Amino acid sequence: MALLQIAEPGQSPQPHQRRLAVGIDLGTTNSLVAALRSGVSEPLADADGEVILPSAVRYHADRVEVGLSAKLAAASDPLNTIISVKRLMGRGIADVKHLGEQLPYRFIGGESHMPFIDTVQGPKSPVEVSADILKVLRQRAEATLGGELVGAVITVPAYFDDSQRQATKDAAKLAGLNVLRLLNEPTAAAVAYGLDQNAEGIVAIYDLGGGTFDISILRLTGGVFEVMATGGDSALGGDDFDHAIASWIIAQAGLSDDLDPSAQRSLLQAACAAKEALTDSQSVDVAYGQWSATLTRDGFNGLIESMVARSLKACRRAVRDSGIELDEVEAVVMVGGSTRVPRVREAVAEMFGRQPLTEIDPDQVVAIGAAIQADTLAGNKRDGGELLLLDVIPLSLGLETMGGLMEKVIPRNTTIPVARAQDFTTYKDGQSAMMIHVLQGERELISDCRSLARFELRGIPAMVAGAAKIRVTFQVDADGLLSVAARELASGVESSIQVKPSYGLTDGEVARMLKDSFQYAGDDKVARVLREQQVDAERLLEAVQGALDADGERLLDAEERMVIELQMDELRELMKGTDGSAIEQQTKRLSQVTDAFAARRLDSTVKAALAGRNLNEIEE
Amino acid sequence: MGTPCHFALFDLQPGFLVDLDLLATRYRELARGVHPDRFADASEREQRVALERSASLNDAYQTLKSAPKRARYLLALNGGEVPLEVTVHDPDFLLQQMQWREELEDLQDEADLEGVAAFKRRLKTAQQELNESFAACWDDAAQREQAERLMRRMQFLDKLSYEVRQLEERLDD
Repeated sequence: MALLQIAEPGQSPQPHQRRLAVGIDLGTTNSLVAALRSGVSEPLADADGEVILPSAVRYHADRVEVGLSAKLAAASDPLNTIISVKRLMGRGIADVKHLGEQLPYRFIGGESHMPFIDTVQGPKSPVEVSADILKVLRQRAEATLGGELVGAVITVPAYFDDSQRQATKDAAKLAGLNVLRLLNEPTAAAVAYGLDQNAEGIVAIYDLGGGTFDISILRLTGGVFEVMATGGDSALGGDDFDHAIASWIIAQAGLSDDLDPSAQRSLLQAACAAKEALTDSQSVDVAYGQWSATLTRDGFNGLIESMVARSLKACRRAVRDSGIELDEVEAVVMVGGSTRVPRVREAVAEMFGRQPLTEIDPDQVVAIGAAIQADTLAGNKRDGGELLLLDVIPLSLGLETMGGLMEKVIPRNTTIPVARAQDFTTYKDGQSAMMIHVLQGERELISDCRSLARFELRGIPAMVAGAAKIRVTFQVDADGLLSVAARELASGVESSIQVKPSYGLTDGEVARMLKDSFQYAGDDKVARVLREQQVDAERLLEAVQGALDADGERLLDAEERMVIELQMDELRELMKGTDGSAIEQQTKRLSQVTDAFAARRLDSTVKAALAGRNLNEIEE
Repeated sequence: MGTPCHFALFDLQPGFLVDLDLLATRYRELARGVHPDRFADASEREQRVALERSASLNDAYQTLKSAPKRARYLLALNGGEVPLEVTVHDPDFLLQQMQWREELEDLQDEADLEGVAAFKRRLKTAQQELNESFAACWDDAAQREQAERLMRRMQFLDKLSYEVRQLEERLDD
């Protein structure tokens, strides 16, 4: 029998060993990594003291350049320099064309529907480009914090659909990060704001970034952040303001709008500089080639008015979906660099009838909030109680039914995690298979919705039309990712998939990239795999030991406990050696024998929560 | 644990009149215990159990929070499942439904925002009245048929208020 580690009640067995976890804001324009240090969440700086990493990646034949220097090369080397790659995440080539702008890249098709960008280093998917940004942030964090990361919380726009989320998670995996959670950006901002200001009540987060817009309405109650509704536009951001100014320049200067990639880039740079100057001045001189003119703030406001209006419309919808009135919103928090545009602040203030809050740096607030959540998820107890984030799905999920219509299974703004089942039947006598087409969106016609995946349920026993009962179950996890299972109830024939989106990478592509990245990093693959197996084993041992210390006495009899402890001993013994697959096997075995214990603990927390409340009530 | 009654889960007496603030408070307490975030560094199995528990807690909460869903659930507890689709014999209400729908169409044609607001207020009053009537009769076996009828009316009004929201969205363009 193993010796029990005795710890002070309420303390972890190793109080000094803080588990390193970070929050990463993978933005369209800029990315940041933040961590909790000495109880304060703050962004981590690079060797030059810069916290912001421009989300720009330039591919050379033999190396990858990320950040400011890459961004500056966008005009001189447009084909190999990828900026705003987030706009391409989880999208197909056709979607990319619909973004309504000229992108200076050479796109090529891959195994999947995902557009690959042709560079001197060969074809690069948006997922790989994002992974290259994440790698730099991971290295920065490990260097600053002085150790390996337990994991990271990566933020995504709340309005990202399943494909875009999955693509982000794939990118993190490719960068060697253990994803603790995908967290919605406005929710992360609400955490940072709520904890900083000790805020309670209903709060709106208006998040206008470089390429995406989110609005979330949250109720803050004693450390619980409950998203009531969210909305937005995953293709609306500061980049569109730049494009609007660029189009204005083209029109004013009488240029052809068919510019070469390099000219396009420098035009956009001029446009972006003009936009930024108009934050503090009433007018700015814009020059492009031989042409020059003055753009006033009013003129600029006119160019972006329709986009600002689009964002306000999404705000009104989110408020309606929350089931509240506009005047019940007690605070409006501005997030994202594009909320520096004066017209945006003014319009938001007008609509909500109150001045929006801009105290926390709009570029940093998301990463700061993500780091707080990462620290909690890594198992480090925060002072002053645990926080709990209750998020929602941004877009309805459903299935294709007869006539090309979408039948909603889970409506938008449903709290996650959620599992829901819907029954369908066959429409032909003797029908033996059924096509399951999973969709996301709000419109009735499937052609207006996003197609997430298709799969087939085969082997339905022959029955007359309408007699078979096929239950399709949707499950959305806490990352907002969907998995779908279908089952014919009479025969028990089953089929399920983790939704690998139509616009995601194929398994083959992910495998190849992982292999490439190992080679590229010059890592010893075997050593790395062993290390990962050891980390998994350690993590499980710690979790089980913690569970035994807390509830072993109460929930297990002597024999059950002995079985668990024997398996733990065996795993500890194996971990002294280097047999990775034996460690993996034993980790699985330990996980299996603790299964029932895990379920009992969960059920008892439910009862404990109720019992605790009853006690409080008696005291009152 | 089996499938316990949703009311027991939240430590509430089964009934139609529910203190929604209390329900929300208890929901948050329970969610703290089972949310997957609490198990982010636990074993895979524990994470899966947390996901399932959390999803069923959310489902129970949604059921009790919404009046029509709560009504349907109570009827199921108290005498069996009410079939989802059935020919409804409720001619008075059918007439009322048609009137409401016509009104809504007129409001859309005229793009009458103030009219929509007034319509919403009336809808709300009608919903409150239905809730009161249902509360008075749901547990009386002799009035079961009436209770089912009221529950279906609630469902219709719920759907109607969703349609009003959609109309508001269209008028917002």
